[in-house]
Amino acid sequence: MLRRCARLLRTTGALCGPKRGRSFSSEVLHVDHSLPNPSWNEDMRLLFDQFMKKSEDGSWKRLPSYKYNPTERIEDVKIFFPDAKLLKEQMSQAQLFPRSLGEGVGFEYAMFHNHVEDRTVCIFQGGPHLQGAPGFLHGGAIATMIDSTLGMCAILTGGIAMTANLNINFRRPIPLCSVVVINCQLDRVEGRKLFVSCNVRSMDEKTLYSEATSTFVKLDPKKKIDIRASGAFYTNLQ
Amino acid sequence: MIRRGFQVAVRLGQHRALFGGPQVLPRLNPTSAFGSSTDSLVSRFCPEKTDLKDYALPNASWCPDMLNLYQEFLEKTKTDGWIKLPSFKSNRDHIQGLKLPSGLAVASDKSDWRIFTRCIPVEGQGYEYVIFFHPSEKKSICLFQPGPYLEGAPGFAHGGSLAAMMDETFSKTAYLAGEGLFTVSLNIRFKNLIPVGSLAVLNVHVEKIEDQKLYMSCIAQSRDQQTVYAKCSGIFLQLQLEEESPQ
Repeated sequence: MLRRCARLLRTTGALCGPKRGRSFSSEVLHVDHSLPNPSWNEDMRLLFDQFMKKSEDGSWKRLPSYKYNPTERIEDVKIFFPDAKLLKEQMSQAQLFPRSLGEGVGFEYAMFHNHVEDRTVCIFQGGPHLQGAPGFLHGGAIATMIDSTLGMCAILTGGIAMTANLNINFRRPIPLCSVVVINCQLDRVEGRKLFVSCNVRSMDEKTLYSEATSTFVKLDPKKKIDIRASGAFYTNLQ
Repeated sequence: MIRRGFQVAVRLGQHRALFGGPQVLPRLNPTSAFGSSTDSLVSRFCPEKTDLKDYALPNASWCPDMLNLYQEFLEKTKTDGWIKLPSFKSNRDHIQGLKLPSGLAVASDKSDWRIFTRCIPVEGQGYEYVIFFHPSEKKSICLFQPGPYLEGAPGFAHGGSLAAMMDETFSKTAYLAGEGLFTVSLNIRFKNLIPVGSLAVLNVHVEKIEDQKLYMSCIAQSRDQQTVYAKCSGIFLQLQLEEESPQ
């Protein structure tokens, strides 16, 4: 099971494999952002240490996270989207959202996965450039983090998958610069559909901020997708 | 202080609406529904003279489709009742003189706090967008061009970035149409991926206003409407802002 997870992680680019043909310095590419940095506040560090402790017995595993889509992932996508025009200049500029913001101002997070329970947890500190209503985190920033965590949970189980549906209930606004825990689990798999749900809670678990359910769809290697065709990808499934 | 305020709110009002009991949030005046009219909200939101930088203006990174459609809607602001909304660095700049109700208000905006959809200031790299609002028909249109820093699958915009753009368009529409302030829920059905650097057009309508909530729908599609990127429904909570006490 662990080996399968490792293989999935490689194909989805969560792990950095040998570099091929990219023109930036390997230091930049290899930086794993799911590690403490000076912008992490006390709460964030505490949570991180708690999860690292849980990882000691092998049930939990910290997931590395990089700024750029590695070459393997790009190759995988090309199989599904043969007509996609991936311009060289665009490729060299592209950064994986939400890692594209500077240290401490945007999304500071680390994800952990429990392969036995099929659960993924993300500890998240939302920085000052993610504001919505004054003093609070933007709903869209919360949605981005929820989508990323649900997606990781889906990909670790089912391979490359894309969000089909995302349904979020916001119960309480999240104060800017606070730390929250996103708990995701895979509910069930039906054919190519993966049903994943999560809740967003405060560190002490006493405050429920949001809940979400989602459907992800595994990409079918036999079907080539013409990105110009309307509704091509999802309509045959919904 | 704000955290304590929340915990108080949670203890007081679990049964009521969402995140506050009547003791924390201002009481709704049943006779006047919601205080400010759309016109007064719009005029406060769109100051005639300001030193603030408006990010919702064309720049060199805008693709031809975006520029053309922008011009089209600019014409409509003269003839068809549309209004181009300015986009400032922080939501606080849009509500000068007002603040969130007591219990929710944070004392001061630190100078580096920024609205999420303007988090990437480099032209063309993040969210390039402009929103036009139609006050009498309570609808909006957002022209959105995702840059390479919003990537998810290689060459395409991250699902979360579209969710954020929809939430932001809902947010401005809800505020101007009925003092909507906080997102209650979002339900997004993704249909197709948006290639980075291309234009997505988001059409938002207010379907109804009921029980202190605004119900809206959004459809994001290509300019020619041949490709639907996503459909979304959103609910926002109405909450009146308060006058800021003189300092």
